[in-house]
Amino acid sequence: MMNKHVLLSILTILVVLGLAACGPAAPPAEEPSEAAIELRMWAHQNEAFNMGYKTLIEAYQAEHPNVEITLETFEYDTYIQTLATAMPAGEEADILQLFGTWTSEYAERLAPVPEDVMAAAEAQGLYYAAPIGGFIVDGVLYGLPQEFNCEYGGVLVNKTMFEEAGLAYPPEWDTMEDVLTDAQAMVQEDADTMTVAGFHFTSSDPASFSFLAGILQHGGDYWNEDGTGFTFNTPEARETLQWMLKAVEEYGVVDPVLFNDEENWVGDAFFEGRVAMGYIGTWAIAEGKVNYPDFEYEWDYFWLPSMEGDPVFAADSGWGLVVSPNSEHQAAAWDFAKFVAADADNALSWNLASGTIPAIPEVAESGAMAEEMPWVTKALEILPYGTYLGSMPDRDLVIYEILYPHILSTLQGVETVDEALEMIDNEANATFE
Amino acid sequence: MNAAKPKPGKKRRGGVWAGQRRFILSVTIPTLLYAGIGIFSLAWALVLMFFKYSPGRAGGPILGLGGTNPFVGLQHFYNMMTGVSKHARLFRISLANTLAFVFSVVPLNLMMTLPLAALIESVRNHHLKRLFRAIYFLPVVASQVGVAMMWGYVYDPQAGLLNGIVRTLGGKPIAWLTDPRATFLGMPVAMWSVILARLWSDYGYNMVIFIAALQGIPPTFREAARIDGANTWQVFWKVTVPLLRPTLLFVGVMTMLDAFQIFDLFQVLTNGGPRDQTRVLMLDIYYNAFRYQRMGWAAATSLVLVVIVMGFTLIQMRVLRTEWEY
Repeated sequence: MMNKHVLLSILTILVVLGLAACGPAAPPAEEPSEAAIELRMWAHQNEAFNMGYKTLIEAYQAEHPNVEITLETFEYDTYIQTLATAMPAGEEADILQLFGTWTSEYAERLAPVPEDVMAAAEAQGLYYAAPIGGFIVDGVLYGLPQEFNCEYGGVLVNKTMFEEAGLAYPPEWDTMEDVLTDAQAMVQEDADTMTVAGFHFTSSDPASFSFLAGILQHGGDYWNEDGTGFTFNTPEARETLQWMLKAVEEYGVVDPVLFNDEENWVGDAFFEGRVAMGYIGTWAIAEGKVNYPDFEYEWDYFWLPSMEGDPVFAADSGWGLVVSPNSEHQAAAWDFAKFVAADADNALSWNLASGTIPAIPEVAESGAMAEEMPWVTKALEILPYGTYLGSMPDRDLVIYEILYPHILSTLQGVETVDEALEMIDNEANATFE
Repeated sequence: MNAAKPKPGKKRRGGVWAGQRRFILSVTIPTLLYAGIGIFSLAWALVLMFFKYSPGRAGGPILGLGGTNPFVGLQHFYNMMTGVSKHARLFRISLANTLAFVFSVVPLNLMMTLPLAALIESVRNHHLKRLFRAIYFLPVVASQVGVAMMWGYVYDPQAGLLNGIVRTLGGKPIAWLTDPRATFLGMPVAMWSVILARLWSDYGYNMVIFIAALQGIPPTFREAARIDGANTWQVFWKVTVPLLRPTLLFVGVMTMLDAFQIFDLFQVLTNGGPRDQTRVLMLDIYYNAFRYQRMGWAAATSLVLVVIVMGFTLIQMRVLRTEWEY
């Protein structure tokens, strides 16, 4: 009888402890302003990004000796899992690096930016529209962006391959057909197998975002009128996808079976010498420099001409900083976030370290940016044309499981253009259910 | 204190002395704690599968359930079978791929390992026998991620070993892991590529079990068969294999359980591609839970996987059970 009581007591304690662990965290305590403050910051592992953070953490700590900030980094997939498990338990770090487009998914678990830190209207005046758009959900500002994640329009260019192919360098492209013609000349094959792609645009981000840009540039839209659904089965979408198919089938600039997300991913393949022109965001430059310090070719970064008309494009917001509502030092956390993301000099420092396009126009137009990252200066003309992607019910699903697989299947010859567009339209609209 | 002799006035309870009771408690309490964590996780999954739950949403006041994480009852299961959403389609694709993988790997594994075990067992030189056993068992101790990366290099379409052989023989290189149009015997080549990698990394384990089982069969049965005029094949097929039925049951069940739960090989080699042709249930569960934050859906998929695995295990046990021993 006594043993049963002991066992029952232990089990009861276990259940109570388990339920207590799932309960909400204690409300933040008010701290005297000069008391020692310890902040934790989480970010995903990107050596270039995190070197930028470490520099700014040291600078902030020098100005605020009572504040100690610990940066913890996680491999990308693990970072998403860590957020998913820590947030319900209230165990997440004080400051979180978050991708803007994710904000709508996590909004209920984030602290809104206090008005005295930055109002939404002020933020919209300070940042480019696309980056800040991701951090505003239902009119409430939840974070401060640090980068303009532009997956559209930029290409890494292998200068050595250009010159070996006898092509004019730097390239002067008036139309996308000029780009394809140059790319065609740089394709290399061995026994019918493409060993060097002339223009690798068939990874997920470039394929999806150039598809969206193509729709917009042809005068269409992928949102319906009231933004409650998608419209992908349109003449503009058809024209764009047919153009991409022409690049593969007629110009032969890339073999999408051999060059895609799983094989010869563009960021690695370019710095391994398997790609003459690699379509990828500027963030890959810093990563490439760190991961491939012995890359033997000369290279640069250029911007593509539009498919048609103005270079309007959809942009995915970008990485930024948010604060946990469970933080005991929210004021200090926001102060640091503002120090990093809203101060022009500090934002410049991080953008230079990370190789990312600034979210702040003033920083993008600065002399230092022109000197260190001239490709950003080249982009200044098109950046204002960027619009925020929009608050999709499930952005990752739409981009990586719907748009990209069907685009790739079309380019690989497995689906027709009409089949792909119909399935994209049906599957994307099903995400609203 | 001497537990064998009770103090005056103390009695044994249920045939157990006080010292023995302390020992039992000291062992069972940690075991219950450990089991409790597992049971708690299982219970939480059983609850989640009836909700449209995402950890990114705060939900209701009790464990985040309700509110923006609404109760949906059996809706997930209904959608899995009949839904037209991307998640529902990916579930059905994953289920089909998983069954194709399992029902290819298990028979192929058994067809490889049993004859191999018999061959090794027939080697008379003990040193050679041990050497062969060690060599064939080596892939088992390698990390599955390492195995996947190695096979990824073998399958590389431009510089891989396999395509190097194909080119030498005058053939056209194949994109073993990324060509969605390539099929063999009705199954995508990418799936066959993963199957081959799995067989290579796993056959040593079953081979060792079969060797032990073969050593346990009394030689008198085989000798009697030979005396009756049976040749080597007949001895193997009509005497050895039937006597291995209990081992076949064990090996079949364990291989099938493993095959249903393969994750790292698929994630590293193909990540479910090309065109979801190698997307299996474990990958689907992982992506739904940790990439798309659809924990409720992932929990429901997990239950479906458990039911399927249990069903096939029970069938195997029914078909292969024996009521004799030697």
